[in-house]
Amino acid sequence: MTAYKKLTLTEPELVLALHSKDPAVLKTLYSMYSSALYGVISRIITHTELAEDVLQETFVKIWQSAAHYDNTKGRLFTWMMNIARNLSIDKLRSKDFKNSLKNQDIENNVSFVDEQNKVTFNPDILGVKQLVENLKPDLQAVLNLVYYKGYTHVEAAEKLNLPLGTVKTRIRLAIIELRRSFN
Amino acid sequence: MNVENLKAYIESGVLELYVLGDLSPEEALQVEEMAAQYPEVKSELTAIEIAMESYAMENAVAPSADIETKLFEKLGLGKNEGVEAMSTIPAYTEEAKVVKLDNSDSKVRTLRFALVACVALLIISTGALFITYNKLNAAHDQIASLNLDKEKFAGVVSKLEFENKGLDNMVAMNDSKEWAIIRMAGQAFSPKSKMNVYWNKKDKSVLINYVAMDLPKADAEHEYQLWALVNGKPVSLGVFGKTDSTSTEALQKMQAIQEAQAFAVTLEPMGGSVNPTMEKLAVMGGV
Repeated sequence: MTAYKKLTLTEPELVLALHSKDPAVLKTLYSMYSSALYGVISRIITHTELAEDVLQETFVKIWQSAAHYDNTKGRLFTWMMNIARNLSIDKLRSKDFKNSLKNQDIENNVSFVDEQNKVTFNPDILGVKQLVENLKPDLQAVLNLVYYKGYTHVEAAEKLNLPLGTVKTRIRLAIIELRRSFN
Repeated sequence: MNVENLKAYIESGVLELYVLGDLSPEEALQVEEMAAQYPEVKSELTAIEIAMESYAMENAVAPSADIETKLFEKLGLGKNEGVEAMSTIPAYTEEAKVVKLDNSDSKVRTLRFALVACVALLIISTGALFITYNKLNAAHDQIASLNLDKEKFAGVVSKLEFENKGLDNMVAMNDSKEWAIIRMAGQAFSPKSKMNVYWNKKDKSVLINYVAMDLPKADAEHEYQLWALVNGKPVSLGVFGKTDSTSTEALQKMQAIQEAQAFAVTLEPMGGSVNPTMEKLAVMGGV
């Protein structure tokens, strides 16, 4: 009879293990964070196969650049999330992704385009999605572009035709709303 | 940097962009320096990070199970060999609960009972069927014997009717003045026999009545023949004698004869003879 262990380590322990490149830590990291990171990735890339590719690439990069992580600069998850986000945005802008769009069968086009445009249908996150929808529309618009669609704040400003400062403030206000809801 | 400026810096939104990875390397470095220098900036940064982390955790989506395997293969770390996930926090270690399959046990028992009940039911049904079959057979036999009885009674009834008719006719003929009754008595061939012949004086027709007749039963090759003796010569008036139950009429009409001194009956081969066989003269009577 095997005992079920929920894999958890505190962040300093993880960081230590990561620096020592112990293969077990990767397994632990995967167990703790793969779903959260996949949640981030699959919001930017709604195509399941590509999103799963990116998840795999994310963990490869985490493993390979483990030595570069500096815990004085920020939390481990922030570092991992930014790897995931950057790889996702790179993928979104890559030839690979554009080709995959072109290669879609004509018959599948409608649903594929729908898939590309939908934010998410995951029922697990409906509660949180609700929270974002409860934001004021102008805050919501900015958060949608920056968080869900991988825009930089500069791109978002162009897209929304707003000054950079306003976009930054709105991102901050939106995140403050999130912080409030988690406290 | 004074407090006002620090507050403005925090509220500019640059920290959020840092957490979202949306700053140039120079800007990022600047934020890191600020954080190192000012605890307020550091704690604000951490709060933003924790919020984003919680948000990501809340929005987690489980990837396909095979991704992990693929990942470890890609990194050349083997499947799981020696790669045991580590955990220094045994806070959540739980023996898998062993739920006994009592349920299925009782199900099996129920099914066994059901099987026994089915078998018992089958035996009872077979027994009942057998008994019913026997009863049905007995009933069939009974019906057959009743049918036989019925036929017998029907035969008796029809015979009685036949005799009754004959008797009626006899009575009618006795009453009538038209009919002469010639009583023929038994001869050497069959001394106990007797028979009547009815001869109509007007139209000279001849009738015999099976009821008023007592002759030995003829076999299959023989029948009786009625003769009239006219001036010493026998004249055939026809055959009779099939006293089977198919003939419903007690009376049989024979050939008419204008005159006769006597009547006689002989036993002849089937179809009758031209001349009477005198050895087999059954009855005879004069007019």
